[in-house]
Amino acid sequence: MALFAVFQTTFLLALLPLRTYESEVLSEPLLLTPESLKVSVNSTRQRLHLQWTVHSLAYHQELKMVFQIQISRFKTSNVIWVENYRTTVKRNRVLHWSWESKLPLECAAHFIRMRSMVDDARIPKPGFWSNWSSWEEADAQNSLGHDPLLVFPKDKLVEEGSNVTICYVSRIHRDNISCYLEGVQIYGEQLDRSVSAFELKNVSFIRKRGTNVFCKVDQGGALGGIVLFVSKVLEEPKDFSCETQDLKTLTCTWDPGSDTGLSKQPSQSYTLFESFSGKKTLCKHRNWCNWQVAQDSQETYNFTLVAENYLRKRSVSILFNLTQRVHPMTPYNLFPKNVGATNATMTWKVHSIGNNSTLLCQLELLAEGKVIQQHNVSIKVNGEYLLSELEPDTEYVARVRCAYTNHFWKWSELISQKFNTAEAAPSEAPDVWRNMKMVSGHPTVSLFWKPLSKVHANGKILFYNVIVENLDKPSRLEVLSIPAPTRSTELTLDQCSYQIHVTAHNSVGPSPASVIVISGDPGNEEVESGRVNGTEDGFSVSWKPQSGDATGYVVEWCDGPQDLPCALQWKNLGPNTTSTVISSGAFRPGVRYNFRIYEISAKRMAHLLEKKAGYLEELAPSDNPQVVMSNLTSHSFTLSWKDYSTESQPGFIQGYHVYLKPKAGEQCPPAFEKTVLPEDSLCCKHTIDNPEQKTFVVENLQPESVYEFFVTAYTSVGEGPLDAFTKITTLDEYSHILIRIILPMIFCVLIVMIICYLKHQWLKEKCYPDIPDPYKSSVLSLIKSKMLLKL
Amino acid sequence: MKVLAAGVVPLLLVLHWKHGAGSPLPITPVNATCATRHPCHSNLMNQIKNQLTQLNSSAKALFILYYTAQGEPFPNNLDKLCSPNVTDFPPFHANGTERARLVELYRIIAYLGASLGNITRDQKVLNPSAHSLHSKLNATADVMRGLLSNVLCRLCSKYHVAHVDVAYGPDTSGKDVFQKKKLGCQLLGKYKQVIAVVAQAF
Repeated sequence: MALFAVFQTTFLLALLPLRTYESEVLSEPLLLTPESLKVSVNSTRQRLHLQWTVHSLAYHQELKMVFQIQISRFKTSNVIWVENYRTTVKRNRVLHWSWESKLPLECAAHFIRMRSMVDDARIPKPGFWSNWSSWEEADAQNSLGHDPLLVFPKDKLVEEGSNVTICYVSRIHRDNISCYLEGVQIYGEQLDRSVSAFELKNVSFIRKRGTNVFCKVDQGGALGGIVLFVSKVLEEPKDFSCETQDLKTLTCTWDPGSDTGLSKQPSQSYTLFESFSGKKTLCKHRNWCNWQVAQDSQETYNFTLVAENYLRKRSVSILFNLTQRVHPMTPYNLFPKNVGATNATMTWKVHSIGNNSTLLCQLELLAEGKVIQQHNVSIKVNGEYLLSELEPDTEYVARVRCAYTNHFWKWSELISQKFNTAEAAPSEAPDVWRNMKMVSGHPTVSLFWKPLSKVHANGKILFYNVIVENLDKPSRLEVLSIPAPTRSTELTLDQCSYQIHVTAHNSVGPSPASVIVISGDPGNEEVESGRVNGTEDGFSVSWKPQSGDATGYVVEWCDGPQDLPCALQWKNLGPNTTSTVISSGAFRPGVRYNFRIYEISAKRMAHLLEKKAGYLEELAPSDNPQVVMSNLTSHSFTLSWKDYSTESQPGFIQGYHVYLKPKAGEQCPPAFEKTVLPEDSLCCKHTIDNPEQKTFVVENLQPESVYEFFVTAYTSVGEGPLDAFTKITTLDEYSHILIRIILPMIFCVLIVMIICYLKHQWLKEKCYPDIPDPYKSSVLSLIKSKMLLKL
Repeated sequence: MKVLAAGVVPLLLVLHWKHGAGSPLPITPVNATCATRHPCHSNLMNQIKNQLTQLNSSAKALFILYYTAQGEPFPNNLDKLCSPNVTDFPPFHANGTERARLVELYRIIAYLGASLGNITRDQKVLNPSAHSLHSKLNATADVMRGLLSNVLCRLCSKYHVAHVDVAYGPDTSGKDVFQKKKLGCQLLGKYKQVIAVVAQAF
């Protein structure tokens, strides 16, 4: 009974505060004033920290309250910030709140006060605000120093693209203070008699060692400044990937983007977290990191890469299975063994992965930079493969890469090795041709051969063997060895038939032989001649087969002009061919090329079939005929140019033009027609359309007249160059007659005179013999002398 | 008892009296030995003169390199940012005795060496790619170390001065970057001014 009474009393006493409380609630508003307000300043972060408590709460009470906080600047009446802060409050629990100022705190005194209100659903409305706390001053200006002009914030670090407020505090109260950033004046707002602020919007990265921002009093005086550090924005790591080469170490790589390092801030750091093991590692390098694979063979990994600098943190994650990220190391010791002419065995090694894992290796063979063979080989440690179908004496490159067979992730790096196959005997007979001529009455054969292509030579050709077999005297065999790279030889033969074998030799052996037969009978050189036209592609040469058993045809020509030594060229063609296109880089316009088509018989003898001549492109004649004038009369004269060679012209000569300039006012002779010369002078022109006609009589001329003539040849392209005209004067008509009569007369007279001179004695005796003169008689003279003596 | 205490205490105080930092320092008595680690170089004064000449000839170039590397506004505001107003710089009296001048020289070089160390450390962070500046700072510091050694050797060998108390300038590590640049400029400006006087005095 007593116990029950005590219990009852206790129970009633316990209920009593609640009743009181309830009556208080119902009767008066609950006001809980914030107390013990303390303000602290973090100048570096430009933050004000506020802490306070609410004492008047009951011990066990937890209430939701709202605190209205006011911040003033310069003076309490200048409220710049009001915020309602909601939180759950417990008795004597210290509450915290902070605010970041855009203006550096050193530039102004800041004041804070707050009031509170219960904002709990359990307490019926309306709530009432408590009284304001007293203003608490946050003074960051205490230890500013004695400089007359101070600029803030000191050593500020911001990200590119952000906004920054710079301010100065002047103790000299001057209006003429200017501030500059990178030499450019910045403009701001005066907040106070001695404080101005400048908002820099969207600041750019300038340099890693910061930017001086300074303010100075114009025209001498104080100067203050700060250094502003603008950092590049930390990027999220890109291409984050991890792989292993040996299932023991994972290597993670990523693209770090811009380096955000400055004088003020080190380059961003990278940390690797693995969530399943809970481990982390700080990466020493900015774009890769190693991770030791756990011995307990954790298969799945969930990595998070965190990039961090003073301003920002970024992260990226990947989840993967270890065995699906195997990137084998590069194979090694790749080299060829047992290299033949047409095959080679390649061997190589790989680094083992795990316990006896199999790798899939890809072997490629390259020739001249192109892949010509590819083979897949599964191996564990040692690889070997036989490459076949190779060409002799050829350089190849073999390369190998491997991948993890269990799960393909990436090929390893390639390893390459060059090698050369061995030589083999030449596989084709050399292309041989001959040229026949008579030297001092002996048939002389010039043999020519073309060097074998690399594909057929199968190695370096060292020499050529020429075996000359006399078919009429089989026991006579001549063997000539001609060292390479000589491509011709000359053989002096006789009237016998010869069979000539030509083989090319390399270090392995000879090629098949090329055989030609030279007949003792020179054959018929008089064959059909024709013309061929030249095109862009060359000459289209065709012929008519003669016999039905030809084993082939050869078209032969000289590559150069006829006035130079012949660079003999030829083309072999099959038995069913009757035309071909002859192309050569040596063909030139204006050069006559003579083609000789031979038919090769079953006995390997060559018979001349046809001759063709042509020009790749005809040109106009380059020179004019040397004309000789003769038979000049009063009405005509003869022109001749017999020495003009039509074959050495740069085109087929189709004829000649004879130009005649008569005397002024005279018409053209009947065989001529009027024409205008290039210099616009009138002229007469006669066309001769037969290139073989090399004389022409110009007649129907006027006597005693001056004529000028000029002869030029023409081709299908045009005529020769315009040269100087030659003048002649026709003879006088009477002079002609006189010449016809007088000359013979004079001749006769001369004859007579000569006869008379020769026979003058006879004539004298006959026509006027001497009359004897007695006084000249000798007898008489004797008598006379005697008489004188007597006297 | 009281009398004893009154007598002993002053005695004890006197026995533990120590001089302040700026006053003449304990100098080894004339008849005491002054041991140097190595024998002094012969013709020491000539070497000291040469080192001072070397420092003097390079001081201006160092100053120019420095203020150029700091960027605007330093090159165009030397009077405001680089004037040689270093209040705690050790004094130098050119007309003093050789001994007095050597002691003052020692203090100046010790002060400059420490300040140059601050500047070098700061500039490695603020201007890491200013190679010419760093080269000149290092070269100057090297000469100063040698000069300090020679001066002490001379003081010890001739004047039996074994120890000279020195004072250093403020450590700049806690200052903001602009202030570091400014203090460095002022120091080098002062150095340029003082070294000319000191070189002339020897």
